[in-house]
Amino acid sequence: MMAAVGAAEVITQLESAAKVLMAPPSMVSTEQRQHAEHVFLSFRKSKSPFAICKHILETSKVDYVLFQAATAIMEAVVREWILLEKSSIESLRAFLLTYVLQRPNLQKYVREQILLAVAVIVKRGSLDKSISCKGIFHEVGQLISSGNPTVQTLACSILTALLSEFSSSSKTSSIGLSMEFHGNCKRLFQEDGLRQIFMMTMEVLQEFNRRENLNAQMSCVFQRFLSLANQVLSWNFLPPNLGRHYIAMFEATQNVTLKPTESWREALLDTRIMDLFFTVHRKIREDSDMAQDSLQCLAQLASMHGPIFPDESAQISYLAHMVEGFLSMINGIEIEDSEAVGISNIISNLITMFPRSILTALPSELFTSFINCLTLLTCSFGRSAALEEVLDKDDMVYMEAYDKLLESWLKLVQDEQHFPRGCFVQPAIQVFNSYIQCHLAAPDGTRNLSVNGISSHEEEEINELQEDDRELFSDQLSSIGMLGRVAADHCIPLLTSLLEDRVNRLHGQLQRTQQHLMASTDLESVDRKVLDDLYEDIHWLILVSGYLLADDPQGETPLIPTEVMEFSIKHSTEVDLNTTLQILGSPGEKASSIPGFHRTDSVIRLLSAVLRTSEVESRATRASLTELLSPQMGKDIVWFLRRWAKSYLLVDEKLYQQISIPLSTAFGVDTEGAQWIVGYLLEKVINNLSANDTVELLVTLVEKRERANIVVQCESWWSLAKQFASRSPPLHMLSSCVQRSLMKALVLGGFAQMDSDTKQQYWAEVLHPLQQRFLNLINQENFAQISQEEAVKQEIVATLEALCGIAEATQIDNVASLFSFLMDFLSSCIGLMEVYSNTPETINLIIEVFVEVAHKQICYLGE
Amino acid sequence: MADPDLDFTTGESGASATYPMQCSALRKNGYVVLKGRPCKIVEMSTSKTGKHGHAKVNLVGIDIFTNKKYEDMCPSTHNMDVPSIKRIDYQLVNINENYMSLMSDNGDIREDLRVPENEVGKEIEAKFDAGEEFMVTVISAMGEECAVATKVLASK
Repeated sequence: MMAAVGAAEVITQLESAAKVLMAPPSMVSTEQRQHAEHVFLSFRKSKSPFAICKHILETSKVDYVLFQAATAIMEAVVREWILLEKSSIESLRAFLLTYVLQRPNLQKYVREQILLAVAVIVKRGSLDKSISCKGIFHEVGQLISSGNPTVQTLACSILTALLSEFSSSSKTSSIGLSMEFHGNCKRLFQEDGLRQIFMMTMEVLQEFNRRENLNAQMSCVFQRFLSLANQVLSWNFLPPNLGRHYIAMFEATQNVTLKPTESWREALLDTRIMDLFFTVHRKIREDSDMAQDSLQCLAQLASMHGPIFPDESAQISYLAHMVEGFLSMINGIEIEDSEAVGISNIISNLITMFPRSILTALPSELFTSFINCLTLLTCSFGRSAALEEVLDKDDMVYMEAYDKLLESWLKLVQDEQHFPRGCFVQPAIQVFNSYIQCHLAAPDGTRNLSVNGISSHEEEEINELQEDDRELFSDQLSSIGMLGRVAADHCIPLLTSLLEDRVNRLHGQLQRTQQHLMASTDLESVDRKVLDDLYEDIHWLILVSGYLLADDPQGETPLIPTEVMEFSIKHSTEVDLNTTLQILGSPGEKASSIPGFHRTDSVIRLLSAVLRTSEVESRATRASLTELLSPQMGKDIVWFLRRWAKSYLLVDEKLYQQISIPLSTAFGVDTEGAQWIVGYLLEKVINNLSANDTVELLVTLVEKRERANIVVQCESWWSLAKQFASRSPPLHMLSSCVQRSLMKALVLGGFAQMDSDTKQQYWAEVLHPLQQRFLNLINQENFAQISQEEAVKQEIVATLEALCGIAEATQIDNVASLFSFLMDFLSSCIGLMEVYSNTPETINLIIEVFVEVAHKQICYLGE
Repeated sequence: MADPDLDFTTGESGASATYPMQCSALRKNGYVVLKGRPCKIVEMSTSKTGKHGHAKVNLVGIDIFTNKKYEDMCPSTHNMDVPSIKRIDYQLVNINENYMSLMSDNGDIREDLRVPENEVGKEIEAKFDAGEEFMVTVISAMGEECAVATKVLASK
C-alpha cells in the first residue's frame, strides 16, 4: 500500500507520460514516446496496485490514465488471484461497478475497460466459485427496472461485457489462462449466467414491445438490448465432451448455428419467445439497423437444432410454429431492401437445419404455403437482382438473397424421396421461367430493362481476366439446372423452342448483314444491337441447357442425370426414332422443316438446337463473316459440347438401371449416330483450334477409349496429326498451351483400338518425327554454334512443349510406353540446359518438362 | 515458317530478323516488334468491347536498345512480328576511345561496339579501370547490337 504522498507523485508521473503519448509526432521524440510507454508498462506490472489504482480512478482527470488504471487492475487481479482475499476481490468488483454508475459522463472507452475488468474478475472467480454471478445479475436487474435510459444502457453494457468475456472467442482478454480454463468457464456460464442474461433481455424487449410510441432515447436502449439478444442467440455453445485440443478449432467457426444445451429447453422452446421476436420485427422493421438485428435473431432461432429438442414431435411443433410466424410476417408487407438477405437467411436455415423427415411431417397445407411463399420470394428477388445488375450497384443485396434462396431450392429438390412426388414441379416451373425471363432481352424477357422499361446497351471495355458467366454464376446455374430437371416436361421443350427461334433469327440477321455489307463495306455502319441481343440470349440459353442436361463432376464418372433419363424414357413411346436421327443429323436445316419434327426425343432435339447454333457459326466463318460473330458464343458452344459429350457420347449402358432407347440409339456404342457426331465435333474443332476451349473438346473426344476408337477412323484426324507433326502453318503459330493440349490429344488418340499396322503407322506419323527432328538437330556437329539461331530455338521450344503434352497424356495403361519414349529426350535435355544457360525462358521450360513427367507419371509408380 | 528441311549449317546468313507469332501466344517478358522497334513486353492485357466483342491484346514494351516505351494494340487472332534475339558473351580486353575491344570464344577480336551511355556502360568502365577481368553480354536484334550486361568471367 502506498502512502498518499507517493500516490500523488505516481499520478503526476502517469499524467505527464499520457501527455507525451497523446501529443502529435512532431512535438515529441521517439525516445520520449518510448519512455512514456515504458512508464505505463512498468506501472501495470507493479505488485498489488489496487489501492493506488483506486486512488487514481478517483482523483485523476486524464482519461488515458484512468484507462490504464483499469487495465492495471484487470491484469493484476488475474496475476495475483490466489494471493488475494475473497472479500477484497468482491469489494474491488463492487467499487468498479459503483464507479461507472456514478459517472454517466465517463468516456466510453474508459467505461468499457472498467466493465471489462469487472467481467474478467467475474470470470476468474466463476471457476473457484469465489464470485457468484447472482449478485451481479441482481444489481443489473435493479438498474434495468430503474426506467432511466442511461442507467439501462449501462446495464446492457455490463451484460455485454460479461457475455464477451465468457464467450472464449478471440475477444477474450484474460490472457495467460489455459484453453481448458476458458472452456470450463464457458460451459458453466452457458448453463446459468447466459440464460439469466437472456431472460433479462427478453423482459426488456417485452416491456418495450408493449409501448406504443418510443422516444429516441428509449429506442436507443431497445436497440442495444436487441443487439444483446442477437449475441446470446449467436452464442457458440460448447459441447460437454469436446476435448481441449479441439476447442480452438471449434471457436474459430464462422457461421454459428444455435445449438443450445438441454438446460435451455424451457427458455427456448417456449413459443412466446419466437412470437416476441416476430412482433419486435414487425414493430421496428423500418429501421434498417434494428431490422438487421431482429432478422438475425429470427435466423438464429430458425437454425436451432441438437439436444434441445427432447424428441421429434417437439422439433416438428417448433418448426411449424416458426413457419407460421414467418408466413404471417411476410404476408402483406412490402419487403424492404434491407430485409432481403435476412429473410433469405431464415429460409435457408429452416431448410438446412431441419431434417427432411421433420419438414415432411409438417401439416401439408402449411408446407404448401411455405413452398408457395418461397417460390414467390425467389422470383421476386430474382427480378430485383436483375435490376441491381443493370444499375451496377455496389451492394447487391437482392443478388445475395437470390443466391441463398436458389441454394435452398437445390437442397430441397435434391432429396426428392422424402417429399411427395411431384410437389416441386409447379414451383420449379415458376422459378425456372422467371430466371429465363430475367436473362432474355425484351420483348420475351426483361434483361437490361430498368424499372421504367428503358433498356440500356452499353459497350464497355471488358478485361478478359473477368470470370466467365459460367463460373461467376455457376451456383445459380446449378440450381436452375436442377429445377429444370425436376420440371423437365416443361423446361426442356421450352429451352429448345427458344434456342431454335434465336438461331433462326441469328441466321436471318447474319444474312441480312452480309447483304448490307456487300452494298457498303463499312463495318462500323452495322447495327450491332440486334446481333448482340441475340448473342446474349443464346449465351444464357446454352448455359442453362448445359447445366440442365449434364453435370461436370471432377474425378467422378459423369452420368446422364436420372431425371433427364427418366424424362426421355417416359416419352419414348411417342418418339419416332428415324425423325429424331434426321433432326440430329441435319444441323444445317431448320428443325421445323423436317416432316414429323414434333415426334422427336426432346433431349436430342435440345442438343440438335445447339448443333444448329454451331452450324450457323461455322457457315458464317466460311463466308468470312467472322467479324460479326461472337467469340463468347463460340466458347459457349464448345463448352456445352464438351460437357454434354462427357456424359452422353458413347453411353455405357452398364452404368444405368434403365436406358432410354432414343438416347442409346443416337449415341450408343457402335451406332451411326455416335459416329456422325464424333465426326461433326472433330470437324468443328479442327477448324477452330486457336481457341483454348476448342482444343479441350478435342481432348475430351479422345480421352475415353470408346470415343477415341471412332475418332481415329476419321480422315481429318490423320491429316491433323500429319499437319502437326510436320509443324505446318498455321498450327505452329498456336499458343504454347494449345500446342501442348494438341499433342496430348494426339497421343491419347494413339491408344485407340487399331490393328497393329495402323498403330505402327500412327506412331510413325505422330511421335517419331518429333524424335527424328530433335535428334537430327542436337546431334549436329555445329549445334553449339547454331543453338542460338531463332529457327533452332523455336524447334527446341516446340519439342519441349510437345514433351509436356505427351506427359499429360499419361494414363494407367500407357505409362510404361510413354515413359520409355520420354526417357530418351530427358537425358538429352540435361545437356540442353548448358547450351541455353543464357535463355532463362528455355531453362524454365526444360525444368517444366521434368516436372510434368514426374507429376503425371509418379502416381503410377507401383504399376 | 519453320521449314523441316531447314539447313542448320548455314549459320548467320539466311536467318530472318523477325518471325510471325499469333498475338494471343505472346507472353509478358517475351519480345515483340512495336512500331518497328524490337521491344521486351512489360505489360500485356486482353480486353474486348462488350461481352460479345472480339478480344484485343494491348501491349506495352520497352525498346531493348533505347529503353523507350512503346504501346500497340492487336486483335488476338492476328499475327505480330517477334524479333530474333541473339545473346553472345565476349571477354572485354580493352577500351580504346570509348570503343570496346571484345574477344569472342574462338579468339576473334571485334572493336566496333561503343561503351553504352548508361548504367551498364559505367559499370563496364568502372570494372575495366579497376583491372578486373569480366565478360560483356551483347544482345543483337534486327540489325542492331548493344552491350547490355557484364558477367563473371567464364572458366575456360
